This record gives sequence, C-alpha cells and structure tokens, in this order.
Amino acid sequence: MKKIEILTIESLNRSPLTIEGYLFEGSDPKAASVAIVGAMEGKTVLPLYSASKLVEFLRNEIGNKEKIRGNILIIPSINHYALNLGERFWPLDKTDLNMIFPGYGAGETTQRIAHKVFEALSGYDYGISLETRNDLSSCISYISLLQSGYEDIPSARKCGLRLIHHKEMKPTDTVSLQYNWQLWGTKALSIICPSDTKIETDGYKEIFESMVRFLYAIGSIEYKVMLGYDSNIVYNKGIEIVKTPKSGIFIPTKKTGASVAKEEMIGKIINALEGNVVHRIFAPCDGVITCVYNNGLILENALAFRILKNASA
Amino acid sequence: MQIKEIFSSQLPVGEKLTIKRNRFSPTEEKSGNKRVSIVSGIHGDELEGQYVIYLLATWLANNPNALRGTIDLYPGVNALGIDSITRGFPIYEVDLNRSFPGGDKEFLPGQLVDALAQDVKGSDIAIDIHSSNIFLREIPQIRINKEFSEATLPLAKKLNCDFIWIHDAVTVLEATFSHTMNKLGTKTLVVEMGVGMRLTKEYGVQLLNGILNLLKSEGIIVTDEEYEQREPFSSEIGDVFYINSPKSGLFVAELNHCAMIEKGQKVGSIVNPLNGEILEELFAPNGGIMFTLREYPVVYEGSLIARIFGNPDNEKN
Repeated sequence: MKKIEILTIESLNRSPLTIEGYLFEGSDPKAASVAIVGAMEGKTVLPLYSASKLVEFLRNEIGNKEKIRGNILIIPSINHYALNLGERFWPLDKTDLNMIFPGYGAGETTQRIAHKVFEALSGYDYGISLETRNDLSSCISYISLLQSGYEDIPSARKCGLRLIHHKEMKPTDTVSLQYNWQLWGTKALSIICPSDTKIETDGYKEIFESMVRFLYAIGSIEYKVMLGYDSNIVYNKGIEIVKTPKSGIFIPTKKTGASVAKEEMIGKIINALEGNVVHRIFAPCDGVITCVYNNGLILENALAFRILKNASA
Repeated sequence: MQIKEIFSSQLPVGEKLTIKRNRFSPTEEKSGNKRVSIVSGIHGDELEGQYVIYLLATWLANNPNALRGTIDLYPGVNALGIDSITRGFPIYEVDLNRSFPGGDKEFLPGQLVDALAQDVKGSDIAIDIHSSNIFLREIPQIRINKEFSEATLPLAKKLNCDFIWIHDAVTVLEATFSHTMNKLGTKTLVVEMGVGMRLTKEYGVQLLNGILNLLKSEGIIVTDEEYEQREPFSSEIGDVFYINSPKSGLFVAELNHCAMIEKGQKVGSIVNPLNGEILEELFAPNGGIMFTLREYPVVYEGSLIARIFGNPDNEKN
C-alpha cells in the first residue's frame, strides 16, 4: 500500500488540509481498477468509517498482495475541515464539494480541491462515491445511479444491495462527482448510506460488504463474500411520498427497511408543548420504507417517509 | 396594497413559517395590464434587496394613482434564513437558489420554491435582487444568462446599474429562480449589489431609480418624474479578469471597491498576523473597473479577491 498526497492547502489558523489516498497496487495490470471516495461532507460519518474499514481490510485482512489484482485507490475523506467541526459543507463558504466537479485548477478554493481530487480519480475503470441523502432523511443503504446516458447498471448490480435508484438527472447533478466521473469514462456509482452520525459496531457492514463484493465481482480482489441481493431497479414513480400535515415531535414507529402494509401505522406527531398525539401517520400502500425523516422535530408538510411500493420492486 | 401568504408551514414548536407577498394593484384593473414581481432574500444572508423593496413599497404607497399595472413584492423568501443569518434554508442546509423549480412532492425547501415560482408565474417581468454574499462586495450589476439575453438585455439597460454581465448558459444554473422563471415566460433579471449581511443605502436608492425607470418605460407606472440613468458597462465589449488568492492568510485591501484600476496596480496583500510577514502582494492583471472586491478578509488559496472588467491588455481602460 502506498499513501499518496493528493492536495495540501494551507490555512491561516488551522493545520493544513492534506487530502490523502491509499493506493493498493494490483498484481495484474489487466485487472479492473477501482477508486473509492468516502466523506465529501462533514456529517457523512458512515461513509468515512466504511472507507477507512476498507483500507484496513485491504491492508491487514487480505494482506497477500497477490490477492489484490487490480489497482484500488481509496480516499476516505476529502473534507476533514468540515468533519472536524461537525459542519456539513466546506466550513468557510458552505460550498457542497459534491456540487463543484470536475473543479477548476485556477478557480476558487473548493474548485481547486475538486480539480485535484478529480485528477487523482481519473482513469479508473470503476468508481464508488459514498454519500448520504441531502434531504434531512436517513435511508436503507442503496445505489444511486444517475440517468446520465453513461451509467452502467450491470456493474451497479455487483454491489448486491437491495435497491438501485435509477435517478432522473437534475441540473445540480451535472456538477456531481458521479456524473463527471461517468462523463470521463469511469463506470461510477454512488452508494447512499444511512445518515447516522453515531456508529454502532457493525453499522458499516452492509456498505463495507457491498464494496468487497463489488471488488471481487469485477476481479479486483480474490476474496469471496456471501452473495448479495439481486438488486431491484427503482424509479421515482415507484416511490410513495408520505408528508405530515401536522408539525411537532416526530416519532417514527417503523424503521428504514421495514416492510409495511397499507394503513399500518408508521409514525406519529406529538404536540411539542402539550404532549398529545396530533396526527398518526399510516402507510398509504404495501411496501418497504426506504427513507425516514431524520430529526426529532418536524415541520408541517415535511416529507416523513418514502415507501417503495411493492408492485414497483 | 394586499398582503398574502404564498407559502406557510407550521414549525414544530409554537411558530409558523410564512412567505409573504405584497401586491400593489391599479385602482382601475384593465385587461392587458402588465405585472412585475420583485423578489429578494432567496439567500438568507443577503439583505440589500429588502431595503430596495422597502423603498419601492414606500413609493407605491405614496403614489397610488400612478399605478397602471400590478407590482408584487416578495422581500423575504428565505424568511428563516434571514432571521438566523443563514444563506441556505435552515435545518435542511440547502441553497434555495439551487432547488428550483421544486415541486409539491419534494422535500420542504422544494415545496417552498415551487410555491414561489407558481405565484410569480404569469408576471411579465421579474427582478431577483441578490447581495453577492458575505465574502464579496459588488457594484450594482445585472447578471444575464446568454440563453435569454435577447429578451432581458433591453430591460437590464433600464435598471440604472453599473455593469451588465452576460454569462454563458451553465446547466447547474438551471436550478435557479431566474432560469426557472425565464423558462416559464417571465423575463427575469438578477441583480447583484453590495455585500451580504449589510445594507448599502446609496445602492438601494440607485436601484430604486432604475426599477422606477423600468416601470415607467413599460407603462406600469405613470409619473412626471424623470429618472437619470447610468450607462452600464457591458460584458459584451470587454473581458472579466479574476484575481484569486495565491496563498492562505489575511487579505488587506489597498484600494476601494469600484475603483478604476490600471494594469499592475496593487490591489492588496496577503499577510500572516502571527509573524508579521507579507505572504503575497497582489496586482491587477488588467486595467478596468474593479467591480468585485473581497470583503471578508480570511482567505484560502484560491479565494476570490477581485474581479476587473476591461478591455484586454489595455493599460488604462
């Protein structure tokens, strides 16, 4: 394993920001190469943990260099400055680094960061970006694959996660890492991780195993893990949105991943000052809860749940 | 004068978020009357537009008989952000001006921008007033997407601003208010002026004159007042030059904002307060008008320091 420095930026009052990658050089130059990016945002603790556990796994668990066949680059964190402050975005100007690719070497600070990172990530056969949702909800682990015209569904299936969200492009997606990676010839996908900021011991395992499974399936490593799911391809029309007509304290009574029946109670809203239940939330359809609002206090008309309708899976 | 809530959401604890519009209508409604919408505060840290809208509301209230069309004022779109010095929509931490067009089935910020777009829809003209951000000070200027410039440039020239910047179409900017409204058929202009978290009174008065001039020339107000208009620089006939910080440190400006500047003139220094060292001195790469200047002094390598508009290689534009 080689530790490579991708970028260092000085700061007036903080330690320099040094972004490092862990490069595991493969034994077979013809084997597929992969680059993996962990935390781009400051509150993406699970992506950080999962990426760092993969570094440990490749270094200590596999150990034998012969078993690493293709080049694997892991960048566990790009945004240390945000992680260390519990901020979500670049702390000075709140720029979302995943909205600034491919970057610009002579531009603003965050454009320069994205440019250097993108240079380091370019040329790999496959790319994985570990992310969390940006809508104040947590979710089951799933693949997000943009309908960019360059996406590769067969490789996304190799992670063996339950869902692949084949996502319609929004204008802001054109400056995401995934899209630009794809544009430049890498079969890139995003694994959307639960938005947990506290990690339970095994909290990373589903994501971690999906990456190991992927690395094995594309021939980058020789290390077999159990088969995963035959992934369901999901489109927006297959997701039922559940909004709350009342604000207050939000208590979900079902978690992400739970199968629910139509009209089953899945959550309730409590009057924040008087403690009484002001609204009960019922599932509008049979399905699986994919996302749950991730805050104890909820606003009127906020999205409380997303449910994957059974017929759509 | 007619105040309406265009969007509301009860907050969790004893409070309601409301986005308000104030409509000024002519005493006599006629078919064919035009409608103009003035929007500000999409970014919660930008307040200059609030002052302009205050001035305009005062003028309209004092001149009710001048109205020949409808004028809708939306001074505080990101109401929670404005009251908490937060650029994005608080709680969700998203930039509302990257969330358009939104929709009823989207997360709450997406519902809010959808409500705004639907309410403004049908206006003949919209003006979205921004104040740069807390980092940069801007002279009053209009930003125009080239895609819509044929329709919007003639209007921009009436707004009494100093600079009109026509930029290329960028896909990510399709998520903005102005792009959404232009697509919906409302000729929409973006004003950038001043600096975040502050009011610049002279800029407010300058833009008010421009808006009144535009309203008068469009037949939306009738008045004997004449509004003196500046001849704006336009990016059609020159280039924009950028100065980005080569080092991280503290930026100390040498010049005042909005100055005419010569090539090679010193703009400022990057210094290190800890040891008194000058880390870098910055000089103008081209002559022209310095229409953007760094306001927040802490910089990283790459931070934008200044923008200059001028003719290339012209020493003294």
